[in-house]
This record gives sequence, C-alpha cells and structure tokens, in this order.
Amino acid sequence: MNLTAILEEALQAVAVANDINALEDVRVAFMGKKGSITELLKSLGAMDPETRKTAGQQINDLKQQVQDALNTKRDQMQQAELTEKLSKEQIDVTLPGRTLEVGGLHPVTRTIRRIESFFGELGFEVKHGPEIEDDFHNFDALNIPAHHPARADHDTFYFNPKLMLRTQTSGVQIRTMETEQPPLRIISPGRVYRNDYDQTHTPMFHQVEGLMVDKNVSFTELKGILHDFLNNYFEEDLQIRFRPSFFPFTEPSAESVGIDPEIYSGFAFGMGVSKAIQISGSR
Amino acid sequence: MKFSESWLREWVNPQLSTNELAEQISMAGLEVDGIEPVAGEFSGVVVGYVVECGRHPEADKLQVTKVDIGTGELLDIVCGAANCRQGLKVAVATVGAVLPGDFKIKAAKLRGQPSNGMLCSLSELGMAESSDGIIELPADAPLGQNIRQYLTLDDQAIEVDLTPNRADCLGLKGLAREVGVLNNLDVCQPDIAAVAATISDVKGIQLSAPQACPRYLGRVIRNINTAAVTPLWMVEKLRRSGIRSIDAVVDVTNFVLLELGHPMHAFDLAKIEGDIDVRMAKEGEKLTLLDSNEVTLKANTLVIADSKKALAMAGIFGGLHSGVTKDSNDIFLESAFFSPVEMAGIARQYGLHTDASHRYERGVDPELQRTAMERATALLLAIVGGEAGPVVEAVSEQHLPKAAQIVLTRTKLDRILGISIATETVTEIFQRLGMQVKVSGDEWQVTVPSYRFDISIPEDLIEEVARVYGYNNIPNVAPQAALAMSKHQESRISVHSLRDLLVARGYQEAITYSFVDPKVQETLFPGQSALVLPNPISVDMSAMRLNLWPGLLQAVQYNQNRQQNRIRLFEYGLKFIPDAKAEGGVRQVPVLGGVIVGSYGNEHWTIAERAVDFYDVKGDVEALLSCTSAAECFTFSTGEHSALHPGQTAQLNRDGKAVGVLGALHPEAERKLGIKGKAFLFEIELEAFGDKHIVLAQETSKYPANRRDLAIVVKSDVRFSDILATIRKVGGNQLVDLKLFDVYTGQGVAQGHKSLAIALTLQDKARTLEDKDIQQVISSVVEVLSKEFNATLRD
Repeated sequence: MNLTAILEEALQAVAVANDINALEDVRVAFMGKKGSITELLKSLGAMDPETRKTAGQQINDLKQQVQDALNTKRDQMQQAELTEKLSKEQIDVTLPGRTLEVGGLHPVTRTIRRIESFFGELGFEVKHGPEIEDDFHNFDALNIPAHHPARADHDTFYFNPKLMLRTQTSGVQIRTMETEQPPLRIISPGRVYRNDYDQTHTPMFHQVEGLMVDKNVSFTELKGILHDFLNNYFEEDLQIRFRPSFFPFTEPSAESVGIDPEIYSGFAFGMGVSKAIQISGSR
Repeated sequence: MKFSESWLREWVNPQLSTNELAEQISMAGLEVDGIEPVAGEFSGVVVGYVVECGRHPEADKLQVTKVDIGTGELLDIVCGAANCRQGLKVAVATVGAVLPGDFKIKAAKLRGQPSNGMLCSLSELGMAESSDGIIELPADAPLGQNIRQYLTLDDQAIEVDLTPNRADCLGLKGLAREVGVLNNLDVCQPDIAAVAATISDVKGIQLSAPQACPRYLGRVIRNINTAAVTPLWMVEKLRRSGIRSIDAVVDVTNFVLLELGHPMHAFDLAKIEGDIDVRMAKEGEKLTLLDSNEVTLKANTLVIADSKKALAMAGIFGGLHSGVTKDSNDIFLESAFFSPVEMAGIARQYGLHTDASHRYERGVDPELQRTAMERATALLLAIVGGEAGPVVEAVSEQHLPKAAQIVLTRTKLDRILGISIATETVTEIFQRLGMQVKVSGDEWQVTVPSYRFDISIPEDLIEEVARVYGYNNIPNVAPQAALAMSKHQESRISVHSLRDLLVARGYQEAITYSFVDPKVQETLFPGQSALVLPNPISVDMSAMRLNLWPGLLQAVQYNQNRQQNRIRLFEYGLKFIPDAKAEGGVRQVPVLGGVIVGSYGNEHWTIAERAVDFYDVKGDVEALLSCTSAAECFTFSTGEHSALHPGQTAQLNRDGKAVGVLGALHPEAERKLGIKGKAFLFEIELEAFGDKHIVLAQETSKYPANRRDLAIVVKSDVRFSDILATIRKVGGNQLVDLKLFDVYTGQGVAQGHKSLAIALTLQDKARTLEDKDIQQVISSVVEVLSKEFNATLRD
C-alpha cells in the first residue's frame, strides 16, 4: 500500500470526524491493534534489514503525522467543547448570594467601646458595678449628705431611703478605691437612672466616668486628657472649653476610703454617652 | 435665679455686651440658662398726662381724653380702660408708633370721636401676659419722655442655673460681687443705714432651738398704710426677676430677697399672742399656711410660734392666721438665720418649695440679717409709712457658723493645678472674692467671708483660683504616669466578643429599660416577686426586670407592629432578683439574652422560606458556648420555665450547674403579649462563660480517618445526648468525630420509635486502623447501645 495514500486517507478521516468518538474510531482504524498503520509496522519484521531501515523510517513518519493530526483535532474539539460548556454555565453574578444578614451593635455600645479604647490606650481599666446602689456609694461617699439640695437635683429613683437606682457611675469609683490602691486609672461606663422623662430627658441613660489617682495628678492633666479624648472622639481639632460646675466628690471622699491626699491627688470626670452620639451624629 | 441686667448694672457695670456678660458668668460656673427681653419691641411710646377725661357720647365703655405729651398741643385720644382718669400719667403710643406684633398706630375716629394715639397697657407693650387697664405712671414721670428710656425697657431678664454650692449668688448683691471679681471692678452697694427707732415697742424673742435658728431679729412697725401702692420701679424689678407684685409689704420682703438674697417675713402684730418663740414643731401640730392649706407638722420642722401656737413654718412658708392683710395696722418684721443642715429636705417633706426655702436649704449669709432688716425697714417706711421700733436680736453665738480659716500652701496649689500662678494674682483673686488674706512665706492664710460657706478646705480655694483665673486659661498637658501594662488574660472572654458573635449571626443589639411593665413581667413570671419602684415614671415602668425577656419581647411586639417580620434581638445587662441574702436584698446578675422570631433568613430566590425553630436558637447558644473552647463543660437538659413551652425548654448547665435557659415562648404568653408567630428565647448568665480554655497546638494524626455510618432505632423518648455520651465513652480515643446526620420517624420505623443516623469517624494517632479494629469498635458500640437503650440496627 502506498504510504502517501494512507496518509491522505487518514488526514481525510481526521478532517471529517466531527466528534470525539468519531476521532477515536479514526485512531483505532489506523493505529489500533488492527489499524492499517499498525499492520504496516508489523510487516517490517519480514523485511531485510536494509529495506526495514528505510521503510521503518517512512512508516514512523507516517504514524507521527497521523498522530499529530489526531492530537490537533482532539485539542480543537476539547477546546470547542469547553468553550461551549463554559458559555452554557454562565450565570447572573449580580443575583444576591445566600447570606445570613449581619446584625448591628447599639450605638451606645459602639460609643462606649470607642471611649474604652481611647482611655485603654492610656492605661485606664474598665470597671463595672451594681446599678441598684446604696446611699453611701451613690451619695454619702461623694460628699453629698442626706437632704443636701444636690441630692434633690439628682431626681433619684429610690426603693427606700438607703437603696436606689444609681444616678451616676461614681459609686464604681468608690468601690474601686475601697479595694485597690493608687495609682488608679479607671473608667466606669454604664446605665444610670434619673426620674425625669420629657423631650430632652430619658429616665435611663448611659454615662462614662473616669478617675485617675496618682502622685501629682493635676488639673492641667485632666484638661489634657479630656482635650485629647474629645479631639479623638470627634475626629477633628475642636475648640474645647471648660466651664466650672459643682460635683462635691473631693478630697474627703478619697480620705474616707483610705487614700492619703498628702501623697496622692486625683481627678474624676464624667460624660453622657447619648450626648456624645447626638453631637457626633449631627457632625 | 432670674434677674434684670440693668439692675445688675446699677451695682456693677462692666464694659461688656449682654451676651459677653452672659458668657463670662457662664464660664465662671454660673450657667446662664436664658436671656429674654423684659418688654416687647415697640417705638413711639411716651409719657403723657391726662388733662381731660370724659364719657364718650356714643359709647358707654369708652372715654374721650385730652392728653398732654409735652409738645404744647393736646392729643385727642379715645380710651377703653376703666382706670383711665383725669390727672393720670400714662404711656401714650403716638401716631406713627409701632407696638409689638407690628401694630401701627394711626390717626382714627372711634364712634365719631377723633383718636390720635393710644393709651397703653402692660400687655400691649409686651410687659405682661395680660393686664387690667392702662399703665399708671408715677406723678413725677417727665412729660414726653420715651417710655423705653423712662422704664429702662432696653433690658434683659437673665436666668442663671446655679449649682447648689453657690447660694451666695441667689441675690443681686452676690451676683454683682461675682461680676465685680471677674472684671476687677468695684461694686457699688446701695447705702443701707440703720433706721432709728421712733417708737419703743418690742417683742421678746426666745430661741428654743438654737441649733436650727441661732440668730433671729425682729422689729415692730406700727401704723402702716396697707393701701399704699408699690412703686412702679419696684414692681418692674420684681417682674423682671420673675416675681409678681402682691402688695406693698410682700413686695418689699421679696425685693430684699432678690436684692440681698435674704428671705424676710412680716407678721400681723395683732395676731401674735405674747412673745416670739422659735422652736421645733410638736409632732402632729397643725398650721394653716398662707395658701390656705393645712399641714400637720412633724417634730423635725422649725416653726416661728408665739406663746400659744405656731405662726409660720420657719424659712419655708408663712401662716394664714398671722399673715399681713389689708386690715393690718402694725406688723412684726422677721430677719433670721436658719441652719441649712436643719432646713435641708424639710420643705420637700411637705411637698413645698418656696423662694425662701430654696435659699435657706442652700444657705443664707449668717451675717446678713441686720442689713436685711434695715433695708426692709427703710423701704417699708418709704412706701407704707409707719413708725419703726428698735431691732431686737436674739442670738446663740455658739450655734452660728464660724468663718473658715484655711491655709493653702504654694506646693499644694501648684501640685493640684499643674501650673504656677503668680503669688500676687492668687492673692488678688482671694481678695476680690472678699476673703481676708495673709501671705506668709509660701502660704496663704485665708479667712473665708460668711457668705462663702461653701469654701471649707484648701481644695475649695484652689477651685476658686482656677475658676476666676479661667479654666480656659489653664493649659492642657499630657499626663505623666508610670507606664504599666494593663492585665491581659488570654482566657478572659470579653462581652464584646460575645456581642460581636451574635451580631455576625444576624442579631441586632437592643438596650431596653431595666424597669418594665409589671403586667408583662407577671405574664412571664407569674407569682414571682420583683423589686418595685415606689415612685416610677409610670406604672408600666415600675418593676425591676427579672430577666431580659420582658423588654426584649416588648421590643419584638413594637417591631412587629411596624411591619418587621424577621426579628433577632439580643441584650446584655443586669437582671434583678430579690434575694434577702444578697447585698441590698437583690442579686444583680449580668446576663446575655436574646429572642428570635419570624423567618430564618431573609427571603431568597434559591431558598425556601421557613420559620425559626428551637434548633435555631440552640445553634446560636452553641455558637456562643464555642467561644469558651470548653464545649465539653456544657450540657443541655430538659428544662422548665414559666415563660416557656413546657415541651420545648432546655436548661443550660456548666459543670452540672444551671447557667441559662432557652426555649419557645409559652403559647399563652405569646397570646397575652400579642406576639405574632413563634418566638424563641435564650438567656445565659455571663458568669457561665467563665474563662476560656486555651487551645494548645497538638500533633495531628498522619494516619487515615475512617467513617462508619450507623442507623439505630430507639424509642422516641430516648434522649440523643444520652446516646451520644454512651458512644463517646465506648469509642474512646480513637473516636475523633461523632455526628448525627438524620432523625427519621415514619414508614419503616415502628410506632413510638425513631431512627437516628450517626456517623462515627475513627482514627488512631500511631497507626493505620485495620478493618477489624474498626469493626470491633462499631460492634461494641452497637452492643452497648442495645443493652442500655434497647437500640436495634435499622434494616
């Protein structure tokens, strides 16, 4: 058989094969166990060595050419098939995914967290305490004796004259000073209660109070800390002004829990959380 | 305290605008709450004189007047006020005048009579809400003068919100002193001279309770004219300070109250039997007050009494019987010092709060009584006439407050302020505040004036220095402290992380009131007592919550009523459990609670919608517990809770101790609270989370893992957790995972039974498990399950 004719026949068969199975049939027909090229190779054994060398070379060339044609065709087919598959599998990626919607923290919590982190950087520890407080920790220890007009200003929710909903978180500071020794740097965020309910007042709100007691703590430093804090909180360089007010939590309070005012000085501060949210919300 | 700016400027007049002045005193700690003009905006109103006044020929209620406004020409003006009469000085709005409300005065005819202007009332000039008749000006008011000038109406009423320590500023005298200090100006005091007695009548005074009243001054004034009218200037000063004119005697005492900050009281002398006794009330003693209300006095209340009866509640309210009336002829004037400690809270206990009690509770200058007495006497004599007797003073020196002597050292001042203010500046601040100062070496020896009884320790002096120096003139300095790291324990679980986890699982954080509606609470906790506020905002905010559910369920209801049908809420806070053994009789337990109701997920195009069920809330709880890395410490057992479905309640235990509860809201509570759909709730005590188990890195097995599935049939009431525990025990170390992947009842499984499909994963750390090893484990598992639970393998 003429090798050229076989080659042409094979190439023709490859060309007309229109799917992977047909192409496989072509491979088997030429190069399978009983394929025509396989038969040719088998016939080499009967040839004399001289002829075998030349013929072998020619047959192998033929085989290689057919194999190449088969491979090329197969690659083309697989490529086309893949392209088709990919195009079929196209989806609308703009459709919504399956998700469990994430919830959210209360703005008060978010604000308290920010405040905690700012003061945390300065080594302030977060302290909590009871919300139903006794008159010693809510008033007496803060230098607000019974019947003092300052008490009336607090609109306190009393359970009885000795027990009340705390009107400030300062009790936490007293409790801390009762059990820990200076230097102290604490903040106490939490719920506080006032018996007042109208457009601008809610009977329960959140406060953060702070206390720093150390050797030589001064008013300039209190101002420094609050100034830094407010600029950080509102994320802008604010003009901050301080106005005197009255909160009689002073030296006698510290003495009553065993802190020596000749060695230590301190300051306390407080802020309303909702106020901070309102201001930053309307920024 | 409300006061008139122009009155203040009579005392001290800094070169500051109204707003600058308000800002200055605010920054000094006397917070300005409001500024309002004392009269409406108007122009073209002048002083006039009613030359003629006759009946309008056509109208009974109108009068026809001729008014002189000093222009040489009389104005014809028709007036409807009943008090309009010949000889009166009046406020005339001339043609072209513009009154408040842009009301323009034009020449007109009223019922045929020409009217070229209007005679004005107080309300027409924006000086009163309503008024009866036209303004009657004093006879010496200068004709033609602009009313605004004549009455100094370009004035503001300034309201300051004083902190309780600044009682010294509850009068013009104190406010002026403060403004003088801030501006370094001298204060111009009114001349208050002693009024010489012209009669010798006196009343004896006995101080029976000298601790409450250590000083009491009294004076008899005879033959007063109670028909006398309070002069307009005084009425105006009172009005601008928010006090209504009553009658001349009361007006004078109120004027002194405003001017000096000292309350006064006048009695009808004729009603006093015998001497004055300042004593404590007898328990149950009755007294009818000036407002006609009868009070039953308590023994802690100081009264002014005569030899027979209580006349007045000292420093709080006068009595009706001894009050000055039109028929009074002689009066007894009181000027007393009552101790603030004894006065505190007394008025409130009777539901009273008066200008006098407000001042006495906060403290009145104990040295001011005589000045106040002389001031009031002089004003009374000038207005109501009469003759004054000598002042009788009863005093108990030992009970009077002593002037505080305070030593302030330079070291302390500098240490607390953080800056060093020049000695002369500090000394000057003290002097301007009225303190006597001796500077010696590095310290100030300060004698505090009687009116600054709020200053008692060196820190108070430092505060005054800072305040007057100006808080905003004190620099901001970064604090210096020894650097110390705060304690960070890896094992500590922060509430923040639990919150974040719930947020990631779709929960919104709620903050609900700690006091809830007792009816809602009763629905959830029938018969369980809670702490109740005796004076709540309202009844539905009166019971301290027994857990977080009442608030959360009300939030659910609120949201459901606003078209929200998928709700997931959580809250962190205290619950308040009455407990006689706890501090204050209440345990305040931090808990984390939540509620889910409605569909599991948001509507999605590939997922069939389904409602949440018990296993959703349990999954959330399990996720929370996983934060501890100590899942093995926790067990769920069949639980019981009055608010929950009896068949769908689980108790959460840590190391066998109950630490939480979860389940379906009881259908009865669901109905009563109007919750739509099934709600599932959880609550865990924060303490349950305790410390996290620190997970240490471990070697993982190199050998293959083998999964075997097992389907067993057991009776329906067998609890899965028991089966699980048994398999774990039998499986030992080689059992590395155990999963339930199906629960089946129905065809193929006998009635009253269920089929559980369980996957066991076996793996050894040291070797590859042979099939026979695996089979051995599985066989023993099956054997034990069969023995303990009567389990059979499903065909």
